This record gives sequence, structure tokens and C-alpha cells, in this order.
Amino acid sequence: MSWRRSGVILLLLACLLGASIVICTLVGPAGVPLLSLAGDESGATILYGVRLPRVISAVLVGAGLAAAGVVMQGLFRNSMADPYLLGTSAGGALGAATAIVLLGGAFSMPLAFAGCIGAAFLVYGISRRAGRVPVEQLLLTGIAVSMFLSAVLSFLMYIAGESLHQIFLWLMGGFWTASWQDAWTGLLVLPAAVPLLLLAREQDILSLGEEDALSLGVDIELLKKCLLVISSFVTAVAVSIAGSIGFIGLITPHIMRLWVGPGHRILLPSSMMAGGILLVLSDTLARTAGNEVPVGVVTAFFGAPFFVFLLRRRYAS
Amino acid sequence: MIDVSGVELGYGAQVVLSEVSFRSGKGEFLGIVGPNGSGKTTLLKAIARLLMPSHGVILLDGKETGAFSAIGLSRLVGLVPQASSPGFDYSVRDVVMMGRYPHIGMFGGETPADRDAAKKAMDVTGIAPLAERSVREISGGELQRVIIARALAQEPEVLLLDEATAHLDLGHQVSILQMIRDLSRRVAVIGVFHDLNHAAYFCDRIILIHDHRILAMGDPAGVLTEENIARVFGVRAIVRMNPLSGRLVISPVLHPSCEAVKDSRVHVICGGGEGAGILVALRDRGYRVTAGVLSLNDSDYLAAEALGIPCLTEPPFCPISEGSRRDLELLTGDADAIVVTRGPWGAGNIENLRVLSALDAGTIVIMGIASWDGMNWDYTGGEAEGILCSLREKGARVADDVPAALAAVREITGEKK
Repeated sequence: MSWRRSGVILLLLACLLGASIVICTLVGPAGVPLLSLAGDESGATILYGVRLPRVISAVLVGAGLAAAGVVMQGLFRNSMADPYLLGTSAGGALGAATAIVLLGGAFSMPLAFAGCIGAAFLVYGISRRAGRVPVEQLLLTGIAVSMFLSAVLSFLMYIAGESLHQIFLWLMGGFWTASWQDAWTGLLVLPAAVPLLLLAREQDILSLGEEDALSLGVDIELLKKCLLVISSFVTAVAVSIAGSIGFIGLITPHIMRLWVGPGHRILLPSSMMAGGILLVLSDTLARTAGNEVPVGVVTAFFGAPFFVFLLRRRYAS
Repeated sequence: MIDVSGVELGYGAQVVLSEVSFRSGKGEFLGIVGPNGSGKTTLLKAIARLLMPSHGVILLDGKETGAFSAIGLSRLVGLVPQASSPGFDYSVRDVVMMGRYPHIGMFGGETPADRDAAKKAMDVTGIAPLAERSVREISGGELQRVIIARALAQEPEVLLLDEATAHLDLGHQVSILQMIRDLSRRVAVIGVFHDLNHAAYFCDRIILIHDHRILAMGDPAGVLTEENIARVFGVRAIVRMNPLSGRLVISPVLHPSCEAVKDSRVHVICGGGEGAGILVALRDRGYRVTAGVLSLNDSDYLAAEALGIPCLTEPPFCPISEGSRRDLELLTGDADAIVVTRGPWGAGNIENLRVLSALDAGTIVIMGIASWDGMNWDYTGGEAEGILCSLREKGARVADDVPAALAAVREITGEKK
């Protein structure tokens, strides 16, 4: 992949992203005529107070999930890996549910964040042996921890009583309560992506295999630690804003790898932009045509069949 | 430059290798051989610091490997692992370029020197035409050459090869090992080999691992002896010097079940490479076999020796002596059957045939007589032909090929019983 072609693709994605933001902000059930915006105060409130923060949140969450997906797929050398492998989604859900049941819904965002990070650290800690963290161990521990946390979550839901509905809504994931506070929180994704981009070459080498990477001079344990911390952080930001939205973190890197190749220097920024575009379009579809169905339903509805399509194509070739 | 002393290696509580000590350095191609699971790969991994020794130290340029930074060590040591499985569709060029990471580092950019090194590595391994292909689409042998190119691009001072040419075709095996041998004049090369002939041909020194320890270390002729090979691999092998290369050639004996189980003894009179087939076949059927008289430089003698067949011999280019003739009379007179192969017969070995005239023709099998016509096999002015024809008239059996000869021998020895 030449630098020139990479530049063109990134530029194209940036234009698409800008266009998506503008269009998605303008589209909605309450028609806001653009030309009469100057004198229309309720229209301006809908645009700036409701739609714009929601659109920005969706873009940043999509970008974050895609970034975490790229990192996890590279780390596990498997394009079936997704950001929630380390138990982050179950941990976040448990955190939010705890806030809803015990605190009446207060602090659900910080607790969801803490749940994500806590689950990831638990998985990392359990997998660690003599300073090394084998990725197979991470994968299996992630599954076990997720199942355990889900069991605790089920128990919480069982005793939740009236707040069950609230937990349910959270679990489905979405942006209907998105505020400027969510959008600002989402901005944390961008500084976190900087070290990921700086570690692009190391991630390329790591995806050849750990021993190969080690003999090429990559400090793989340090690298894995950095990647796990950053991707858990980014995932936690995304989950605490919008719950566990599926398929964006799985499919976006997959599609972009087909388009721009596996090199992380291009794959990472292009996946982030594509993830933002996909999620904001899905959310717009959800709140307009879908009559406010949770966006997770939309991403899964389109994502799962598309994923099957990719799988079949892969085995066909 | 590499100094391994008193090293013990293992995985968990399981000890794979112990008391390993050796030194190597620039200008040497050191081979490591030994059976599967003997710890050859483990030893390479320890030098590349993929595994820390539980006892002992490994020094590189006088410094313990553990004291190097990851990137510092990778500038010194390059490893070609046994197998690589790239997870994604990186291009061949990308993967070779990853070999430059030790020199580029975390935040550096590729320099023209890096691109030159990568290009050179792709050229000498013959993968330049594949540069833009995905490493997941090329063949196993091509991938192995990509990984070798990656290690060459690394420009290490110690190159470790773990059966690096195992998946290559004959041409690439030879050309790449040749190239690495040339390279070993400037860097230290340590290679694990399964092919003992490659090890003997390319290595200056060989370490033979057996039973978790170094059994022998030294030049190929001193290490790859028939005794050592039998002990370590449990295989009888013939080790000879190839006169063309001046290197050892090791051939496993493919008929290890050659214990004599029958009482009948068959004597084979042969020469000029005509006897090897029937010698092997008789030995394989469990006959007690003797041969001769043969010249020491006859390839039939080498075959007989390799098969452990007792043989009457004469020094090269010498006629059969009076003593040998008497021995031959004893051996043939006592044999249950005698097989005579196609010539050539000359002044040097005609004595072998003269002895036969005195024997009972019914115990003799003459091989290949049908294809004798027009062949230059009789250099005795008709004496050899005369003897053989008269034997035939007196009732000697005639066999065109090895199976027919075996059947004839079976008849003769069966009649005797």
C-alpha cells in the first residue's frame, strides 16, 4: 500500500465522516428546515442540544470500538476477536446494573467504566504467569470471567424488581440519552488512539507471532500490557457512554483490512473513521426509521448477516 | 562471541537439556543434530532468549543474554524459526522489512539503507518476484524463504536456523545453504539439521545431542560416526567420504532386518557393482551370505561391507592371490549354493571362475546370462565364457534377474534339505 493511496483513502473517509455528521445531524423525526434555522429557537435546541451531541457521541464510540477491535484482532492474530473479549462488556454491564439497583441509577456511567476496567484487569491478572501473559490464556480467562460476571448480573436483575426495565434498556445499548457530557467523555478516545498509532509498527510485527516478534526485538510483554490497557480504556469509555454495542468493533477492522491491508498505521485511523461513520449511520437509522429502537439492534441486524457473508467468502477462497 | 556454559534448559519441572557448554563465533557454521525432542530447538531458543536457562549462563560478546534490551539483542541475534504462520495478509516486502525493526526502532523511519538491506535479502533468497504477494498466499517453501530473508535483513552477528531449509525444494536447499555458508565467514551461524548429509556438507563443526546432553562435538567426521548414529538414532548407517566433495555421505541401511535366520549359506561371486542387488536380497531373506573374492575398491565390496557380509578381498588392482584362492575354495566347497553374477571378468578375477569348475554345477546359479550377448564382459579371451558355458551344460541354473536367482537358490537349498 503506497503512501499516496493510503492518503487518498484516509482523505476520502474523512470527507465521508464529515458528510455523515452533517447529514445525520439534520435528519430526524422533528423536521428542522435548515434555511429557517436562524430565527427558530426550538429548532436550534434540537440541533445543538439533542442531535449534535448524540451524533458526536456515536461517532466517537464507533471510532473507539473500532480502534479497540483493531488492537484486539492484531493481538490475538485473529480477525474474529472483538473489544469485549476481556470481559469488558460484562464488567461494564455489571457496574451499570449495580448503580441502577443500589444507587437508583446515579453514577451509572462511572460505575460502568469501573466495571469494564475492573474486568479487564481481573482477566489480565489471572492470566499472568511469571511476568508473561500468553494470549490463549487471556482469551480463555476472558470467557470465564465474562460468564461469571454475567451470572452476577443475572442475579442482580433477578432481585432488581422495578428497576429491571432500566437495566434492560442499558443492556441494549444506545444513545437516546446522549448529552454533551457524553460527547466530551467520548473525546477521550482520541488521545488514547495516539499511542496506538505510535505502536503501529510493533503491532504489525506482533501479529506475525509472539516468538517472531520477540526475536525481532519487540518487547512483547510491555507491548501487550500497553495495548490491553489502552484498548480496555477505550472500550470502557465506549461502554460507559452507550452500553455494549456489538459488531462495530468486530466488523469494521475486518472490512477495512480488506480495503487498506493489515498494516496498522493505516488500518487504525481508517477503521476509527469507518467505525464512526457506521455507528452514526446506524444510530440515525435507529432513531428515525426504527422509531428509537436500540442502536445495538440495528448494528446486529445488519452486522450479523454481513459477518456471515464475510465468513463464507473467506472459506470460499 | 557465543559462550554457552553449564546450561540447563527445560519447561517447568521438565528438564530438556543439561550440562550444555560450547563456544562458537564468527567464521563458523555450527550444526546441531539429534533425534526429535532431543532439545535442539530449545537450545536455539535459549540463545535467542526466548527461553531462560534454569542453570548456567549464555554470553554474547562477553555479556549475559539476559542483560540485553529486547532490541539490543535483536541487533545481534537473528532467528529463523521452524514454522511461521502470519496472521494477516502482509506483503512479502512488509514482512522482510520487519526484519529491519532492530535498526529502525520504535519511532524511527525507514532509511534507504533499510530498503537496500531488505532488497538484498529478497534477492539472495530469490523472493524478489513475490514482493507484493501476500505471505498467506505463497507456498510453505516460499514462506520459509521469506522468513530467512527477514532474518538476513536483520543483519545479525549470530544467525540461528531451526531446520530453516526443511520445506525447500532441492535447488533452493542447496543454494540457500550455500549462501548461508558463505555468510558464515562473516557471522556466526548455528543451525539445527535433520538431514545429516546437509549438516556434514555445510557445517564446520557439529554438536550431536543425545539423552538430554551433548554426546559429541567436533568436526563432522569425528561426530557423525557409524557408532554415534547407531547409538543416537537407532539406525545402522554407512558413512563414507564423497570423493567429489571431500565431505561425508551418510546413508541409512534400509535393510536392518538382515539377521541370518537360515542355516543355508550362499556364496556370491560378483564384481563391478553387479552383486549388490542379490547380496541385499539374500541377506533380506535371512540366508547366511559370503562374498568374494572382491577388490577393495569394488563397489560390490562396499555393499557387502555395509550389509555386514563376510567377504574375501584383495587390495585394489591386484590379481587374486594364491592364499585368497585357497580361502575361496574352502568357502565355495562348503557353501549350500553359489551365485555368480554377470562379469566383467578379466585377468584380475578370472580365478573366481576357475575355482567353480571343480564344484558340483547343481549348486551354482548363473545370473544375467541372457543379456550377456554383445556385452563387453569377458576380457579373458573367451576363458570366462567357456567356464560359464560348460557349467551351464553340466546343470548350473540360469537366472535373468534377482527374483529368479532367489527362486533358484531356494530350489537348491530346499533340495539339500
